[in-house]
Amino acid sequence: MATRTAKSAFVRNCLATTVLATMAALAAASPAAAKTPADTLVYGTSLAQVISLDPHQGQESTALEVMANLYDRLVSSDASGKLSPQLAEKWDIDDKGITFHLKDATFNGSGNPVTAEDMVWSIRRVIKLSQAPAAKLGSVGYNAGNIDSLTRAIDDKTFWIGLTGKVAADFLLYRLSEVAASVIDSKTVMAHAKDSDFGNDWLRTHSAGSGPFDLQRWAPNDIIILSAAKNYWGPAARMKRVVMRHVPESQAERLMLEQGDIDIAGSLSPADIAYFADKKEVKVEKVPTGGFYVMAMNVTAEPLSKPKVREAILHAIDFDGIQKSIMGPYGVKRLVPVPADYEGAIPDPDVKYDPALARKLLAEAGYPDGFSTTIKTIAQTPRVELATAIQASLADIGIQAQVLQGSGADIVGDHRARKFDILIPQTGAYMPNAMGAMEQFTSNPDNSLAANNAGNFVWRSGWDIPELTALTAKIMTENDASKRVGMYEQLQHMFVDAVPAVQPMFERYLPIAIAADVHGYKGHPQQVTRVDQVTKSE
Amino acid sequence: MAQPIMKQLAAMRLDKRLVQLVLSLLALVAITFVIGRMLPTDPVGSIVGELADPRAYAAMRERLGLDKPVAEQFLLYFWHLLQGDLGVAALTGNSVSDDLWHAFPATLELATLAIVLSVIVGVPLGLLAALKRDSWVDQLIRVISLVGHSVPVFWLGMIGLLVFYAGLQLVGGPGRIDVFYEGLVPPVTGMILIDSLLAGDMEIFQNALTHIILPASMLAYSAMAYITRMTRSFTLEQLSQDYVTAARAKGVSPAGTLYRHVLPNIAVQLITVIAISYGGLLEGAVVTEIVFSWPGIGQYMTSALLIGDINAVVAATIVIGIAFMLLNFLSDIAYQLLDPRTREAN
Repeated sequence: MATRTAKSAFVRNCLATTVLATMAALAAASPAAAKTPADTLVYGTSLAQVISLDPHQGQESTALEVMANLYDRLVSSDASGKLSPQLAEKWDIDDKGITFHLKDATFNGSGNPVTAEDMVWSIRRVIKLSQAPAAKLGSVGYNAGNIDSLTRAIDDKTFWIGLTGKVAADFLLYRLSEVAASVIDSKTVMAHAKDSDFGNDWLRTHSAGSGPFDLQRWAPNDIIILSAAKNYWGPAARMKRVVMRHVPESQAERLMLEQGDIDIAGSLSPADIAYFADKKEVKVEKVPTGGFYVMAMNVTAEPLSKPKVREAILHAIDFDGIQKSIMGPYGVKRLVPVPADYEGAIPDPDVKYDPALARKLLAEAGYPDGFSTTIKTIAQTPRVELATAIQASLADIGIQAQVLQGSGADIVGDHRARKFDILIPQTGAYMPNAMGAMEQFTSNPDNSLAANNAGNFVWRSGWDIPELTALTAKIMTENDASKRVGMYEQLQHMFVDAVPAVQPMFERYLPIAIAADVHGYKGHPQQVTRVDQVTKSE
Repeated sequence: MAQPIMKQLAAMRLDKRLVQLVLSLLALVAITFVIGRMLPTDPVGSIVGELADPRAYAAMRERLGLDKPVAEQFLLYFWHLLQGDLGVAALTGNSVSDDLWHAFPATLELATLAIVLSVIVGVPLGLLAALKRDSWVDQLIRVISLVGHSVPVFWLGMIGLLVFYAGLQLVGGPGRIDVFYEGLVPPVTGMILIDSLLAGDMEIFQNALTHIILPASMLAYSAMAYITRMTRSFTLEQLSQDYVTAARAKGVSPAGTLYRHVLPNIAVQLITVIAISYGGLLEGAVVTEIVFSWPGIGQYMTSALLIGDINAVVAATIVIGIAFMLLNFLSDIAYQLLDPRTREAN
C-alpha cells in the first residue's frame, strides 16, 4: 500500500512539473496586442536578396523600392509611364543633349544644397563604380570613356547631359528616372570614401539622398526601417516610419496581414493571394511589370535551332489552360513582347493549341518520334509550375523534357553561359513603353561566342537576328514619337515571323495584398513606388 | 571541492582533446570550402545582376577572388581565417563575422529556450512512461513522442501559428519583436530576452517572450520527443537491473529508487542525448527560422546557399561545427565528472 502511495505521489509530481512548465511558458505569453502603429507602414516581403542600398549598386526589386524613397532623380515616371520633374524644374532638349534646370532642393542630414555638381558626380559614379546599374546606363551608350565629356555642370543649378547617338532623348529621360540614376550627396559620401570605392562601402548601409525618407536601420535578412526625413525639401511624408520586414514564408505573411501585423504583403503564393479574393479587409493589387515570363530556347544546336521545331513547341502548349490553372494573378497570356495596353502593341498572334499540328511540324523537321531535352528554371512560383506544365505539353508530342530546378545563382549562371536547352526566365520593362519591354527581345548586335555578350538576353539563346537588331537600333534613335509607333508594329510582326528563340508567354504581374485601411499605395512597374503620401485610416 | 575537480579535469587529458577539436575543425573547414567551390553556383550573377556586361561580371569575379584556382583560393581563405578574417559575404556585403555576430545570438536564444523546455518536459515524461510501463499513460506519452518525432517542423510551425497566433491570439507573430519596439533596446548580447532584462525594460522582455515562445515550443517538441523516448528506454533498462530489485527488496520506494539509484545511472547517457539534441537545435532550426521569420544562422545560411555565397556558408558551418564540438567536449567532461569509470578508462 505504501509503495502504491509513493508511486502515485511520484506520478503526481511528474505531472505537476510538466503542467507547471507548460503553464509558465504560456502564462508569460500575454495576448498579442500588436497591430501596426497608425504612423507606420509595415511591408512584409522577402529581404533575402537585398545586398546593397547604394543606388548605384543595388538592383534587387525590394532594394529598388527602398532606394526610390531615399533618393530623388532628375525626373520621375508614374505607374502609367508619364514623365514628370523631380529634382529638375524643367528641361530643354536639343540634338546634342538635354539641359536640366534644377529646383532648390537640399540633401537630408547634411542640409547641403543639391547642385549640378552632385548630378555630374552621381552619373559618373554609376559608370565608374561599374556595378549592375552601370549596365543600364551602358545600354543607352554611356561608358567610362565618354561619361566625363558627356556630363557637365553649367552652373550650380544647370546640368547638361549629352546624347550618345544610341537612343533618342525621351528614352534617355526614362533611364534617368530609374533608381540607377539617383542623385547622391557627393560631399557626404566622399567624406566616407576608401581607396577608389566612391564611398560604396559606407553607402551600402547608409543613405545620403534628398528623398522623403532616411535609412534608419537595416539588418540583413531581418528588417529595414525608413524614417521620414526631418528637413525634406518637398511635402513631408505622411508616415513617420516605413518598416520592411523579412517574411520569407507566404502563409506566415498571410496570417500577419490578417492579424494586422503588416499592412502590405509583397511575396504571397497564388493560393494565399486567392485567399484574399473575397475578403473585404484586404485588397489585392496586380502591379504590371511590363515584362514577361519567357521560354528561352538555346538555338545554337539542333533540334531547337530548327524554326519548325520551335513552331511545333508553340502549338503544343495550351497557354490558355495554363493561364487559368497556374498563372492566376501572376500573368496574362501574351505571345509578343509588348504588353497589350502599350502604345504600338499588336494583337496577340493567332497561335492555336493544336498537338496534332505540332506533331506534324515535328515530323517535317525530321523528328517524328520527338527528342529528349531539359527545361531549367529557378525554383520559384510560378516558374516551376510553368515548367512542369510545359513538360507535360511537350510529352504529348513526344518530346521528353526533364525539369531541372535550381537557385538564381545556378540558373542565371547557366543562362549566361548558354548551358541550357530550354529555360524559363522572366523580364521587366525598364521604361513603360514598347521599347522598354521589347528591346531585350529584338537586339543582339554580335551573336558570336567570342562576343561573350552574356548581359544580352537574346545572345544567351544564340539567336542571330541582324534585321531585328538593325530595326531596333533605328527605333531607339528615332526622335519622332509618332513615327516610332508604326515601327513598333513592324518590329513585332518581324519578331513573330522569325519564330523566336526567346518566346514571351505571359505578361508578368506582381500581385500584392494591401490592408483596406491603407490608402494611396500604387505599385510602380519599375519598382520606384513612392510611399511618402500613403496614409492609413484609423 | 575545487581541488578534486581540478585534479579530475587534469586527468582527462584536456590537451589531447583540444588537439582533436582543432584537427576536426580544420577538416570541417577544408571539406566545406572544397564542396562549396565545387558546386555549380555562381554568386557573381546575383551581385552584378542578370544584365551586367562581361567586364563588370569579370571585375566582380576578380574582386571575390573566384578567378583564382581553387587550391589558391583555399590557401588564401585559410590564411585569412587564421587571422580571424572570415571574408566578406556576397549576400550582405558585410564582413561575415559581423553578420554571424548578429545572426548566431538569435539562433542561440531560440535553441537554448527550446532545449530548456524540452528537458523540463521530456525527462519527467520519459521517467513517468517507464514507471507506468505499458499502461495508458505510457501509451499516451509514446504517441506524443512519436508525433513530435515524425511530424514535419514546417507543418507543426504553421499549425502553431494558425492556432496560437491567429486563432487564440495567445502569442506574438513571426519575427523576434513587434515593430513598435524595434531598435529600442541596445544590443549587448544580441539575445533580446537578455538585452531587455539588462536594459530593465520588462515591456520589451514580455513582448519578446510572446514572440519566442511559439517557435521555441515547436522546436522543443521534436527535441522533447527524442529526449522522452531515450529517457524511457534508459530508465527501463536500469529498472530491470539487479541493484534495483535489491533496493526495492530493502524497502526503498519506487520513487526513491528512481531518484537515488536510477537517475544517477542514466545521467551520463541523458547528458549525451541532451547535448546531441541541443546541437541539433542549433543546426536544425532552419525551417523554424524561415516559418517564424527568425533572423538566425539557419536563415542566413539558406539565403547564402541560394546565391552561392560560399564565404557565408563556410563560416556559418564553422560556427555550427564549433558549437557542436564544444557541446561534445563539454558533455565528455560532464560525464567523466559524473562517472568514475570513464576517468579510469583514460
